[in-house]
Amino acid sequence: MSMQTGTIAKLLTQPTAGERARQRVNWTMRILVGVAAFLAILPLIALIAFVLLQSAPFLVPSFFFNNPLDTSPGILNAIVGSLQLTGLTVLISGPIGIAGGVYLSEFASPRVVAIGETAIDVMLGVPSIVAGVFAYLILVPVLGFSGWAAVVALSILTLPIMMRSTQEVLRLVPQAIREASLALGVPVWKTALFVSVRTALPGILTGVILAFSRALGETAPLLMTARGTNAENWLDFSTTMNAIYQYSAAADDLLIGQAWATALVLMAIALTINVLVRGRTVNSRTA
Amino acid sequence: MATERRKTENTTTGAKDELAQAAARPAAQAAKRTSASEGDGGRLTLENVSARYGAFRAVKDVTLAVRPKSVTALIGPSGCGKSTLIRTINRMHETLPGATVSGSISLDGVDLYSSDVDPVRARRVVGMVFQKPNPFPTMSISENVSSGLRLTGGTSKSEIAGIVEDSLRRAALWDEVKDKLNQPGTSLSGGQQQRLCIARTIAVKPRVVLMDEPCSALDPVATLKIEELIRDLAAEYTIVIVTHNMQQASRVSDETAFFSMDDDRAGYLVETGPTAEMFTNPKQALTEGYIQGRFG
Repeated sequence: MSMQTGTIAKLLTQPTAGERARQRVNWTMRILVGVAAFLAILPLIALIAFVLLQSAPFLVPSFFFNNPLDTSPGILNAIVGSLQLTGLTVLISGPIGIAGGVYLSEFASPRVVAIGETAIDVMLGVPSIVAGVFAYLILVPVLGFSGWAAVVALSILTLPIMMRSTQEVLRLVPQAIREASLALGVPVWKTALFVSVRTALPGILTGVILAFSRALGETAPLLMTARGTNAENWLDFSTTMNAIYQYSAAADDLLIGQAWATALVLMAIALTINVLVRGRTVNSRTA
Repeated sequence: MATERRKTENTTTGAKDELAQAAARPAAQAAKRTSASEGDGGRLTLENVSARYGAFRAVKDVTLAVRPKSVTALIGPSGCGKSTLIRTINRMHETLPGATVSGSISLDGVDLYSSDVDPVRARRVVGMVFQKPNPFPTMSISENVSSGLRLTGGTSKSEIAGIVEDSLRRAALWDEVKDKLNQPGTSLSGGQQQRLCIARTIAVKPRVVLMDEPCSALDPVATLKIEELIRDLAAEYTIVIVTHNMQQASRVSDETAFFSMDDDRAGYLVETGPTAEMFTNPKQALTEGYIQGRFG
């Protein structure tokens, strides 16, 4: 008995050479993946720190409320322009994308779903510059460089995002809920709208916000379509993206500093939206 | 009136008493009820009903007559097509891709599958309660009950309030929820949710109520409450219930139909008869073996 417990104690407390080696490998690996994780977020930290440092002198209230040609220049026109562009984009691609996603999830036959999903994948893979070139070749000759051409390009880019996200969240609605509604004698279209979509609504809105943030940060299509102006205006949009592009290309320290500050503003907006979306998804998961 | 009285009993007696009551309720009570309500409408007739998922036949040639305002239990081993069969009665089976039905199912002589019967209309007449309680997660308790009426239209707001209360009373849930009608339906316990689903089903005034293992996700006390409720509802509705629990079948049903699975995995009806007879003196050896727990 005593010998046996002694053996067990030995088994438990005295690692063999093989086990020691395993522990060493374990620790080495831990350190390696830890370093890798740190390296992965290092650019983010560096970026934020660098942009903050570079733009700090320019971050005065007037920067947000003045236009570029005012005595103390600001980027009000760019912020307003960005919001107009992305707002209009969401207004156009939102309803179409959501309706398309509802169709694929609730009405389409499996064959149509397969075709639709492939089409969405292709559209999601289109580089944004291609959407820009498309609008440049088709619309700019007619409209000239204009915000409208940019809205079309951005809508092409956000449409598949909206469709996909709507379809995905509708897929998460339990079939039991749809069946409950159908079994009450509710027609299919009403079940889709007032039961499925209603249940998935928080998720669908999250998709809209994500598409909004994608449109807000888009560069290439805007350079080919909207270009931008130095004055605040309606529907002759200037954008924060454009402000960064133009200012940073200027041979003028003041303008380059403003480019940094504009970049910070854009980052702040994008970050806010992402945090917002995270909050939403966490809430809906716990609810 | 009878439901009213039963419900107050429910709320005053404890779970133990309920167990005793349920155990003591004899088949005589069932016999009295069915003879009184014979011929009031709600007669279901299934003839040669087969149900398929694509090429696979899950239910084979079922012919079954369900008496109006009675409880018919469908029992049998897993996978023998009981759930598939009751889903053909309210035309839910065909909502699945590739699913088809052949044969005829008629309610008071009207073929539910004839071309002039809209499946949506058929589902209003033939209600269904599912295995897992499935209240609408975005709706309050009262909205859940009124959902069928609101989504199908044609009922005024003032009527709806009355129907909500009436349905909840019939489902023996009113006293437990009357002070929190605006809270989410999903905030209730499992047993309460299932009674909420029953209230939601009877709010649209069906003639037939199908129940697909309505108690399999519930604890014994909640199960007894639902079983009592099923007995009460049988005064007004034709009820078809699928159950894996043979004690439950013997407690709640007037008629029992026993299903089994063929070599080709197609479910078929072995025999049907009054519940008391099926459990004491079945005609088929297969039924006897199943009921005595020798297989399944």
